[in-house]
Amino acid sequence: MSAVDRDRSRPSVGAGTGPALRWSYALNCWKPGFMGFARREEHERASKVTSAAGFRAVELNAGSGRWEPLGRPDNVATNYGSAQKFLLQLNDWGIERVSSTFWDPGQMSFEDLHHGLLTSNPKDHAQIVATVRLHAEFLPQVGGEILVVRPAPSFSREGALTPERLRTIAECWTAAGRAAGEYGVRLALHVDALSAFRTADEIEALLAATPDAHVGLAIDTAEVTIAGHDPLALYERCRGRVFHFHFMNALARDELGEYRQPNAERVLIQCGGERRIARWFGELDHREGLVDFPRLVGALRRDGYAGWIVVESDKGPAPIASGVLQNGWYVQNVLDPSAKLPRGNVPVAVG
Amino acid sequence: MSTIQPRLRWAYMDHWRVDTAQGPLSQYTSVEHFDAFLKQVSVLGFEAIETFDFHLGVFRELFGSLDGCRSFMQDRGIDRVLSLFHAVMFDERQSMPHVRATHDRIFNYAQYIMKSSAGLGVENFIVMPAGLYYDVEPVTDDKILACAEIWNRVGKMTKEFGVKTCCHHEFFCGLRSREELRKFYEWTDPEYVYWYCDTAQHVIAGVDPVELYVSLHDRCGGFHLKDTHHVDRTGDYRRRPDAEIMAPTTPRWFWEMGTAEGLVDFPALFTAMKDLNYTGWVGVEHDKADIGGGNYPESTAISMWYARNVLGRIYA
Repeated sequence: MSAVDRDRSRPSVGAGTGPALRWSYALNCWKPGFMGFARREEHERASKVTSAAGFRAVELNAGSGRWEPLGRPDNVATNYGSAQKFLLQLNDWGIERVSSTFWDPGQMSFEDLHHGLLTSNPKDHAQIVATVRLHAEFLPQVGGEILVVRPAPSFSREGALTPERLRTIAECWTAAGRAAGEYGVRLALHVDALSAFRTADEIEALLAATPDAHVGLAIDTAEVTIAGHDPLALYERCRGRVFHFHFMNALARDELGEYRQPNAERVLIQCGGERRIARWFGELDHREGLVDFPRLVGALRRDGYAGWIVVESDKGPAPIASGVLQNGWYVQNVLDPSAKLPRGNVPVAVG
Repeated sequence: MSTIQPRLRWAYMDHWRVDTAQGPLSQYTSVEHFDAFLKQVSVLGFEAIETFDFHLGVFRELFGSLDGCRSFMQDRGIDRVLSLFHAVMFDERQSMPHVRATHDRIFNYAQYIMKSSAGLGVENFIVMPAGLYYDVEPVTDDKILACAEIWNRVGKMTKEFGVKTCCHHEFFCGLRSREELRKFYEWTDPEYVYWYCDTAQHVIAGVDPVELYVSLHDRCGGFHLKDTHHVDRTGDYRRRPDAEIMAPTTPRWFWEMGTAEGLVDFPALFTAMKDLNYTGWVGVEHDKADIGGGNYPESTAISMWYARNVLGRIYA
């Protein structure tokens, strides 16, 4: 049975009676290195490809420096004039809004003069809250609702969580979540394959220690699968606190526990680790994919999930458009036929 | 979501390549690559593909039969292979439309393609109606008449298979100027010979495709919508051994719709199509999109973004 036949034969992906699923696409795939994706015409082509594939919202990736024109609100203003003008430009390219921004506090910042912040270090909390405010003020102006954040550094940085460190991290996100809430923005904690948060118990403990109105979970289906979780089981366990999804397939799991390795981002994720994994991430319908998207979407429909589902093609491969189009087909033909674009060149309203 | 019933259906003229661990490959290399290709063009709104007739063999290899191939395509939203582009080895010893001695072989080969392509839903048989310009020149009335004779004959035959013979004029084709085109279509039978409008090729040749469409709209069998940034002002069309890929003046002739430097007036063409009530298939093409670092998925998406967001507001 082909993948198409297999997925279509499953009964769980009905239209349902709940709210329509909201789809977005992460722009991170278009910028594999710090020098790329800096020119406006590159933003234009990426936006048009995304729109043509049926996605009308995008997730931005926070960044720093003059080659990150979309990385910070002040950079957006420098390059596009203002948040409002940026949104109008996106509309012209067929994108209705920004759904969200992803920010890793561990990234260095030219603008704020640091080489990365630690949520486990109380001395960094004020700067983390200030940066959250920066993005939270910007997001509603471009239609955004969610700031996706990396809750803690990689396991290899500080080792296993201790109750004290978890409490400190929770204090950080509590303060940041309340600050974001002043702008109507919620924080979604994005646990990745290398995170210090390894178990569902740890994730649940973090959520329990943060305010549920302002801080929730972003489930990245590929990242948590690589880390050994079942994304559906994680969703079921944290259901009330899941604010956000990243949909991407995982092609392998970290079976050797190499997340413990120093520099695991480079050694494991970028270079494939001991097993020389060529690709960790794949398209939604990849034949070797480990994520059961139809079942997951069935659960989201059952629960009336109203958050964003951001599809990702993290790390490509090139050509990036290929993965975006293939994922668009899978969303419209398998996961959510109600999102299907009309055939041919019939226009679709934007905005 | 719009409920407008479209008057145009869209087909993708295939020049695709897939980047693989084995290097760049045709999407017909495996069922897996073909599957990914079909999904990528389907999501953009296409309902058919157009391809070269030398791919018929690999369709059978991959799927066992052409019916099986079409069924696989339909599962992914692509209804048919709308057109077969006829790959002819132009040579005066066997296939040269202006040389009458080669007509029987041209006819027989075309008939073989008709007999061997059943099952794919083919509607158009696309041909370059004359050899390379430098092989045809000087272009005399008798040579144009000879071309008209063979395509009348082929067109009558393909019609019996329910397929239109459509003539597609590359800028380096032996029939390329406005006057040569006028004579050719006057001397061919409207019942058997159709014109396929390749917008970029005509612009490169110095012919306005919009004026040509208005003039030949009742002969128009379809379109290859693609753009160009250059008009051939130095006679590249008669350059040996090749004008399309090897012209020193122009590394890349063809571009997707929607680039700022494009010379084809697509809004004017769509206005004319609307005024003349064109209904049916429209093909999109951008061959050689990978020259200079481009790629086919991105060019195809940009083309269809333009088709939906700019041209769709004129005619859809």
